[in-house]
Amino acid sequence: METIKTTKAQDLPQDLFTRADFHEELLEDTGFSNYSYWRSTFRTFFKSTVVKVILVIMLALIAYTVIYPMITDLDPYEVALSPVEWNLPPSSEHLFGTDGVGRDIWARVWFGTRTSFLLAIAVAFFQVGLGVIIGAIWGFYRKLDTLMFAIYNTLTNVPSTIYLVLIAYVMKPSIITIIIALVATGWISEARWFRSRILALREADYNIASVCLKTPPSRIISRNVVPYLVSLIIMDVALTIPSSIGSEVFLSFIGVGLPADLCTLGNLVNQGRSAFLVYPYQMIFPTMILCIITVSFYIIGNKFADASDPRNHV
Amino acid sequence: MKDKIFEAKDVVVKFNLRGNTLTAIRGASIDLYDGETLAIVGESGSGKSVFTKSFIGMLDKNGWVESGSMMMDGVDFSQYKTEKEWLQIRGKKIAMVFQDPMTSLNPVKTIGEQIREVISYHFGTEKEAAKKQAIELLRQVGIQDPEQRYKQYPHEFSGGMRQRVVIATAIACRPKILICDEPTTALDVTVQAQILHLIKKLQKELDMSVIYITHDLGVVANVADRVAVMYAGQIVEYGLANEIFKDARHPYSKALLLSLPQLGVRGHELHSIKGSPPNLYKEIKGDAFAPRNPDAMKVDYEYEPPFFKVSDTHYAKTWLLSDKAAEYRKELEQINAAKTEIKPAPPMDFSNAKPLVSVRNLTVNFKLGRKEFSAVRDVSFDIHEGETFSLVGESGSGKTTTGKAIMKICHTSGGEIYYDGVQVNRKMKAHELTEFRKNVQMIFQDPMASLNERAKVDYIISEGLYNFHAYKNEKERKEKVAAAMHSVGLLEEYATRFPHEFSGGQRQRIGIARALVVEPKFIVADEPISALDVSIRAQVINLLNQLKKEKGFTYMFIAHDLSVVRFISDRIAVMYKGRIMELAETEELFRNPLHPYTNALLQAAPVPDPDIERDKEVVVYDPSIHQYETEKPYWSEVKPGHFVWANDPELAEYRTRLK
Repeated sequence: METIKTTKAQDLPQDLFTRADFHEELLEDTGFSNYSYWRSTFRTFFKSTVVKVILVIMLALIAYTVIYPMITDLDPYEVALSPVEWNLPPSSEHLFGTDGVGRDIWARVWFGTRTSFLLAIAVAFFQVGLGVIIGAIWGFYRKLDTLMFAIYNTLTNVPSTIYLVLIAYVMKPSIITIIIALVATGWISEARWFRSRILALREADYNIASVCLKTPPSRIISRNVVPYLVSLIIMDVALTIPSSIGSEVFLSFIGVGLPADLCTLGNLVNQGRSAFLVYPYQMIFPTMILCIITVSFYIIGNKFADASDPRNHV
Repeated sequence: MKDKIFEAKDVVVKFNLRGNTLTAIRGASIDLYDGETLAIVGESGSGKSVFTKSFIGMLDKNGWVESGSMMMDGVDFSQYKTEKEWLQIRGKKIAMVFQDPMTSLNPVKTIGEQIREVISYHFGTEKEAAKKQAIELLRQVGIQDPEQRYKQYPHEFSGGMRQRVVIATAIACRPKILICDEPTTALDVTVQAQILHLIKKLQKELDMSVIYITHDLGVVANVADRVAVMYAGQIVEYGLANEIFKDARHPYSKALLLSLPQLGVRGHELHSIKGSPPNLYKEIKGDAFAPRNPDAMKVDYEYEPPFFKVSDTHYAKTWLLSDKAAEYRKELEQINAAKTEIKPAPPMDFSNAKPLVSVRNLTVNFKLGRKEFSAVRDVSFDIHEGETFSLVGESGSGKTTTGKAIMKICHTSGGEIYYDGVQVNRKMKAHELTEFRKNVQMIFQDPMASLNERAKVDYIISEGLYNFHAYKNEKERKEKVAAAMHSVGLLEEYATRFPHEFSGGQRQRIGIARALVVEPKFIVADEPISALDVSIRAQVINLLNQLKKEKGFTYMFIAHDLSVVRFISDRIAVMYKGRIMELAETEELFRNPLHPYTNALLQAAPVPDPDIERDKEVVVYDPSIHQYETEKPYWSEVKPGHFVWANDPELAEYRTRLK
């Protein structure tokens, strides 16, 4: 190694080589990154063009289902008495054509999407909410393991279709029934998933520190644990919405869903199915919307899961 | 003079992080000579790992070598890009051993396979021949029965053995240079001594040069021929080991050596470096160390110093060595000469001490699958009011479990624990528990894991206040938080920040503030300094001692290194496999260590003095030397206040030794 022979040292004024003031209060300033978890998460999330495009489509679609019923004078339940109006192919007057009794499919699709959306959001809200609360309690009290696992095994070992069908049979077909049916089968898997997340966090030193300070479990859960899971909860909601819409379609398809006279994507697909061979568009259009919604939500959910992982915050 | 085999010159490494470009290495140079060991010492964030990783092209994806050269055998490989290019260097010429042996091994392959693959991959050796070589390598790194162990998986090896396997993999291709990145940090002191010995042995046998990265000056003293001190991405001092240890010139190296807990004098403040090392986000002007150096000159804040030559082998990057600073040097010398020798405070008087915590025959069993094992066996001791009681032992000795049992955050299987006369390890009444939690607090080992990242400092410190309703109104709460922050040396306005904005040492102090805000009497400190940087350790120890003086705390200090606890403890208990082997007052224990395990621990702890360290022999404690089948051991007092676990013949021997 060679010394860097600086002549620069000779040029420096002598008075620089005296004691400098020592600022003790500046010592703790190490400089820190302006890293913020949520900012980085959203930055990573919006970096992808796919996400941007899908998000715009989804927002437009949701906005449209809200606005459409206000601006249209088409009644999705209006039956045409004249057979001339029945089973019309798509035209400028009826964008998606009409069905077997002359109802406008375009109008029915948007009313249906709205119903399905509301239903899915309600299911996601209750299912994830219940899952988080029960999962947190389950994760925190080890004694519940035996009981909860018994419930878990019972509920998951029997195919959920059977419950869905049973509940739908027992209760009067209505939106509430479907919500109850879907939440009743879905909550336990959510709860178990959150339990495993919470178990991993529970033994962390900062939680033990809270125990040493006698922080009540309710506050440990709400202040120490759940804030770490917010991104997971958002992701979970985003993934529950398409699966709930799918389940509703499936139930309607097998005939135990919502009352047949109600406009939902499930009923539309089911009614379109009967005429599929003759008038394929009656099923294709609702299915297309259904596909766009479910695929978009899955992509958004997964992309958000990736973005919320701190390892991807580069 | 030996031949230079590797030279890195003015290396600049940059990283892209969230849209910012950060400079991790700001023009560092080292030379490596044939057959020598160069130790790079530095704190976390000083860039020592990044610097050496750049030698083998293993920087993270977002990092790159901006400029500088790396010369070996006349080839500059600093700008290699592809894997193919790097493979000419990596493994064959320069190999690396990492800190954590578990992450460097593949858990689903036998260790023999892993070594054999390396040999076959690099040399294209036939399977059988490669297997023979692999077995030979295992023997070379000191693994017994290599043929048998060849077929075993990593989980069947202990930490030290795993590290031996990793070393075997690294030397499989006969590299000229072996880079060891903190290879013993995750290991126990006694195992560390063995690994250091092994590396030295292999270096001689295979004629390698070794670059040893560490933050532990004791280890440096043990292994190094030359030392490079790194600070904020630059080498600030470079020289032979003796020159650095005996005649350090850079203010940072000097302060680092002075702040070692081993040099502490009882009852006095340890020399400490104030503040925290700068991280990559801080803009550095002039000498990076200047803001933390109370004796800095004006020029240090303005211009970056060049390297000045002290001797042919010793260089330091500080303006203090320039001719113009001659007068200032004299001034400093005078100040230092004026400082008088400080005398240690007398040891604590136990004659009328009353026990605050009593542990009687404590046993803690854990279930591991179907088997049950005892983490703590039949442990008894008292902790007196105002005392600092240290529990020392290696990983798996049960010291943390004992601490947790006292904290009532771990179950107990037998025995009793009393705090202030009240039994703790039972179902306590609500008001008893509140009283207990208020009085007994814990400080945790890892400051990165012990703070809630999603809460502001204000909430973290107030947590205890909320729980015990220890404030009348919002104003009083704020005042209490501010007072707690002030007493740990943090500014009040930090209360609105989140933990990730602080350095490790600052976070540890937030943890201490959280504990002391509820005004406890007794604090269990679980290795509070072992996860901290060398320059921060002294700060935290001083803080703990100062709080003890001001608030009359009683401490139980859990540690793995005897030398560190020496100057802060009043009594020390040495634990091994769940049992206390020896318990005595500090000075007595160091003067007359009786149990062979205590001896082994004392020997193994590295001393920051190359003259002592170099010729040290490795003492390994072998429990089979005791004949406990014929004569049962028991816990007895050989001398007032000095307890040991031994049987009758051993006790007789200890007694004669004490006379």
